[in-house]
Amino acid sequence: MSHDATIPATGAEPDWQRLHPATLALAIADLGPRSLQFLPAVAALGFTGNWIWIVPAVGAFLLISLLAAWFQWLRFRFLVGEDEIVIESGVFSRQHRTIPFDRIQDVSIEQGLVSRALGIAKVGFETGAGGKENDANLDAIALGAAQALRTTIRAHRSGEAVASPAATADAAPAAPAAEDRLLFAMGPRRLLVAGLFNFSLAALAVVGAAMQFFDNLLPFDFNMFNPMDWIDLAERYGLGDWVYAHRWIAGIGAALSLLLIGFASGIATMVFANWDFRLTREPRALRRTRGLTTRTDVAVPVRRVQAAILVTGWFRRRFGWHELRLQSLASDGEKERDHQVVPFGKLGEIDPVLAEVAIARPDPGQVWQHSHRIVALGPVIGAICATIGGGVALWLGNAVGWLGIGAAPLIALIAFWAARFHQWADLGEQVAIRRGWWKPKTTLLPHASVQSVDLKTDFLQRPLGLATLVFGVPGGSSLASHEIPAIPFGAADDLRTRILAARARR
Amino acid sequence: MTDTPIAHPTDPFDPDAINAIEGLNPVDPAYTQVLRIATALNLIPLAIGASVFDALLIRHIDGPYGLITVAAWLIAIIVIVTFPSRRVSRWGYRIGEGQLRVARGWLFRTDTIVPFVRVQHIDVGQGPIERWFGLSHLIVHTSGTHNSTVTLPGLHNDLAAAMRETIRRHIQTDFA
Repeated sequence: MSHDATIPATGAEPDWQRLHPATLALAIADLGPRSLQFLPAVAALGFTGNWIWIVPAVGAFLLISLLAAWFQWLRFRFLVGEDEIVIESGVFSRQHRTIPFDRIQDVSIEQGLVSRALGIAKVGFETGAGGKENDANLDAIALGAAQALRTTIRAHRSGEAVASPAATADAAPAAPAAEDRLLFAMGPRRLLVAGLFNFSLAALAVVGAAMQFFDNLLPFDFNMFNPMDWIDLAERYGLGDWVYAHRWIAGIGAALSLLLIGFASGIATMVFANWDFRLTREPRALRRTRGLTTRTDVAVPVRRVQAAILVTGWFRRRFGWHELRLQSLASDGEKERDHQVVPFGKLGEIDPVLAEVAIARPDPGQVWQHSHRIVALGPVIGAICATIGGGVALWLGNAVGWLGIGAAPLIALIAFWAARFHQWADLGEQVAIRRGWWKPKTTLLPHASVQSVDLKTDFLQRPLGLATLVFGVPGGSSLASHEIPAIPFGAADDLRTRILAARARR
Repeated sequence: MTDTPIAHPTDPFDPDAINAIEGLNPVDPAYTQVLRIATALNLIPLAIGASVFDALLIRHIDGPYGLITVAAWLIAIIVIVTFPSRRVSRWGYRIGEGQLRVARGWLFRTDTIVPFVRVQHIDVGQGPIERWFGLSHLIVHTSGTHNSTVTLPGLHNDLAAAMRETIRRHIQTDFA
């Protein structure tokens, strides 16, 4: 990073580039969702009777938005130098950012539906600097230029001679290097199976709420979750008496539509997210491309992987299906904090991926230690509260109270039974933590990833001689709290000593 | 400074016993005063608020006027007088063997170990009340998401600076 290379002489105008002009079209497409923010203002105008002003107000809003997007585009420029990328942005307050290629862990390419139609892509630079605002991105440049830029940065990182540093859009497809190996892929057939297991009634809540909301607006009065409506429908076709005699038909109709919605939403979310899923091994990273409408291209640097999480479900587990996520320093996109590298696969397919990140799955014969049953305390207290609440309701003469009293023993029993599924094992180089029976998760945490260890006790665990171990691990995961609850104090102390003796992973 | 012998008896009824058994050093006793003042600054406005509420509302609805005021001030005084010393006696630390150990709390006791090699950077901070008593607090940052900062309060200024130097030396030697 010599200075004469970073700041070119003023005589030779450096090769500044702008974002692709189609980015403006993207901004227009973006206006759709954004104008929703404007709805309250429109409503306010409507309620106060100023109907005349609505059209000019919306017009002004659109105009200002477009002007802002235009200015932003005008004031954004970037420069691909010998060994760094320089980005200048900001309309009023200028921001000048220099990212050396050495510091770029990897380059991600993301294309939404509109971007794909326009042939442009959003390029994200992963610097591992933590925090969303620290990650730079180019939103958006031509796809060819994006791939060329990534090839340039990769080549620089591999220490090869950089032939032509500028991201010339010669549309040379990023030639897959010889050492790139396909680790895992999902075809349509696998997606369908995965979608069937992805059965979810979450969409049902949305549909149900929408039906409630639009109930009065719909031209027909039919709620398909209401068996009475099915009876009404049958009556209209003269089947009323027959259906009334076989009331269960109506129930089956409602149940069938429930199932249909559950499966359809499961398959749809799976197909949209994971269409043409490919996981390849590159020299430094695992690279994942997926998506039907929004295609993403993300790389997880192998050396930055901190832990692996195996997730399954109580039902899909019987068929041997599992999901693998890797916890890395960088977060996956905007929402997820860990990287889904195998959304749905057999253990035989997951093992090679785990081998790439030097994490081993415990043997089937592994002896697991159990957490103490005190971990069920929370639900049991909940059950006691439910009993008390139910009792109070009954005392006040409300029959709903039986629900609480009936549910309480069930909750307590399930909690006690589920406590057995809190297990852990020390595999020498890594700790394995299992929890959950409805959605069993196994966290494989290499000792070397642990940054700090908490040994927690409280007034309940101390008399029982128990302690809880909590590990501080870089990069977050929503699924894995790195915690071994309620194990014997001596074992916890011993495990802590052994883990802290491990050397750093990097 | 590492491996200082523990100067406290292992009498189970001694408030320092929990630290002594676990081989931890206590924090500076002056930290009690810092905590006491901080607690007072939090609780006295609350007690005043309770008194005002009592005077304005309870008296108007002919409630038992005075009950809330007395209770609020009584609780505030008890908490300010008794709790800080107990809380301070539960803090303990140990520095040595290439790691920093910080323990706190009794009802919910947390005992954290951070190896020096995992430390990203170190802060030594001092609030206005701490400055009055010549105390500082040490903040150790790690790259873990859980426990990304470990705070150890109630250290004498010189001790905090010395601890920072010790940890910093380890960071340098281990990454060189």
